[in-house]
Amino acid sequence: MPALALLGVFMIYPILWSLWMSFQTGRGMQLSFGGLANISRLTQDPVFLRALTNTLIFLAIQVPVMLVLALLFANALNNSALWGRGFFRTAIFLPCVTSLVAYSVVFKSMFSTDGIINHFLMTLHVISAPIPWLADPFWAKVVVISAITWRWTGYNMIFYLAAMQNIDRSIYEAARIDGVPAWARFWYITVPMLKPVILFTTVISTIGTLQLFDEPNLLTQGGPSDSTLTLSMYIYNLSFRFMPSFGYAATVSYVIVILVAILSFLQFLAARDRRA
Amino acid sequence: MTRTIALRLRTLGLAIAGVSALSITAATAQEINVWAWDQNFNGAAMEEAFSRYQAEHPDATLSVEIFDKAAMEQKLQAQLASGQTDGLPDIVLIEDYRAQKYLLSFPGAFEPLTDHIDYSAFAPYKVEVATVDGETYSMPFDSGVTGLFYRSDILEEAGYTAADLEDITWDRLIEIGVDVKEKTGETLLPLDPNEAGWLRIMMQSAGTWYFDAEGNVTIADNPVVKDALETWQRLLQADISKPVSGWSNYTGSFTSGDTISTFTGVWMTATIKANADQSGQWAVAPIPRLEGVDSVNASNLGGSSWYVLSSAPDKEAAIDFLATVWGQDVDFYQDILVNQGAVGSLLAAREGEAYQATDEFFGGAPVWQNFSGWLAEIPSVNYGIFTEEADAAVVAQIPALASGGNVDEIITAIDQQVRQQTQ
Repeated sequence: MPALALLGVFMIYPILWSLWMSFQTGRGMQLSFGGLANISRLTQDPVFLRALTNTLIFLAIQVPVMLVLALLFANALNNSALWGRGFFRTAIFLPCVTSLVAYSVVFKSMFSTDGIINHFLMTLHVISAPIPWLADPFWAKVVVISAITWRWTGYNMIFYLAAMQNIDRSIYEAARIDGVPAWARFWYITVPMLKPVILFTTVISTIGTLQLFDEPNLLTQGGPSDSTLTLSMYIYNLSFRFMPSFGYAATVSYVIVILVAILSFLQFLAARDRRA
Repeated sequence: MTRTIALRLRTLGLAIAGVSALSITAATAQEINVWAWDQNFNGAAMEEAFSRYQAEHPDATLSVEIFDKAAMEQKLQAQLASGQTDGLPDIVLIEDYRAQKYLLSFPGAFEPLTDHIDYSAFAPYKVEVATVDGETYSMPFDSGVTGLFYRSDILEEAGYTAADLEDITWDRLIEIGVDVKEKTGETLLPLDPNEAGWLRIMMQSAGTWYFDAEGNVTIADNPVVKDALETWQRLLQADISKPVSGWSNYTGSFTSGDTISTFTGVWMTATIKANADQSGQWAVAPIPRLEGVDSVNASNLGGSSWYVLSSAPDKEAAIDFLATVWGQDVDFYQDILVNQGAVGSLLAAREGEAYQATDEFFGGAPVWQNFSGWLAEIPSVNYGIFTEEADAAVVAQIPALASGGNVDEIITAIDQQVRQQTQ
């Protein structure tokens, strides 16, 4: 009974309240029922559209890149002949236990116009003039994507590594005896065996990226010219930076809820189809 | 993880209710609590003010809590929204641009001070931003009066004297910048593509804003906005500015000598003077004015004031303290000018001794006298409640402006976004 009461107070009540709130309009705490006003505002809001587009771009590029990298790292580090496996595993996992603010500050200084990245690229003659990483709409997106990938690849790699250890060694031995090359063993044995874990990491990463807030907020504050503004940052701005419009912010947050639900459902569907 | 901000606010309310039970017992009857955001500037000025008050009221005590400015604004906004007022201070510092937003969206949260302070003694534009329905809520504090800070040694090298920068237009400044670059190779200005402050400075110098006195959006049909954006586009395309990103990059560019001037609020003086080895190499001129519209060589950027919370248990003591020291003590304003470089907005303070002094760092010029002269010329405008939203709309168009986009189309885009965001 106490558990149910706690669940009611901290889970069900807030969810229902925020749903009710998403139909309210007004400034600050002077809210009144506005019917579908927030939804019609959503359809004409250029900032919401920019934030949605940015979020989906981050999702479409960052999640596949990160998961493929994690899979490749996991496969390489699963090789028992590799020297220093433990060290590399720790090194790749370490970023996701690093303090978020500390690493953002380091990334910001590395990618500043006079930073080490530009120095390095100039020394190698890859570029002739410094790239304005954080002041250019395109490069700012690249920096944000690199930062999230750096942070979360190791986290996903651990799931893959754990799953790989559970694959029966004899399957690989049989394949080796039959003369199956290494790439084919990876593609036709490892990847299919990992399917449930890949599905899990895809869903988790999709949800994480749709809620992306920390990196763009600390690295670029959503700029330049809203090029790294995400839906979560927009919700934050609507509640704490702009004239507080909590009702509209709640509506935008339900857009994330709906997107998460749809994308997760599609991913489960895709995984089930292939299994059949 | 999937919870919403709205939901967090409700739980925050519950959390604050718990925390506040502790803080009530911690507060003594005569303690005045203050929230501010700069230990060396507004926090120090508040402590100086209180030491004067304490001489007459020995049993009163003061505690100043210093936050990061953005964190403090969010804390205030979240707490006012949650309806839990127990953890709030007695006095809070609020930036002028945000004053109306707080006053209108949380009615009753702040105490009107109209009956306690003689507002005719203060710069009118500071009073106007804190007035709603005939009641004024602020104790006006630091002014954001603007000036053009420049390296006089480098401009002299290119053949310019202080008189050449007196009461000029922006287009004249661009000519000077181009000429200085040809002669010395130096870049005139730093420019942050995430900052709309330059437009705010230009608009206020012509007595206009994103909104009119009734709060209606006046961007699309405003000749000043068009003139300002066209001027800025010329400035961007004259190749006399250097792109910077963020505050430290911005201040670093002119203190390190990468750029040789900046136009900003008087509060930047302390940052510029921090480089003692550049003493005598700097000067301050009035900011340029717009050509083609009615504009003066004076404007404002930022600035803040003190507000008393209605929920404060000690609000009588807080109001008495503000009214007796901040409201009339001319000597106090001399002290914070000398110690904190704070230009307050009490007009009578300008007659004091410190305001007459010259500064060797700025080539022996009477800089405080100059700033306070410009202060009196600043046209008052209605900052309204949506300056933050309008700034975001302007910033979104800066790349288009820099790449030579059509100004009419840019204005339409800004206007549409602001209208959409302020419904």
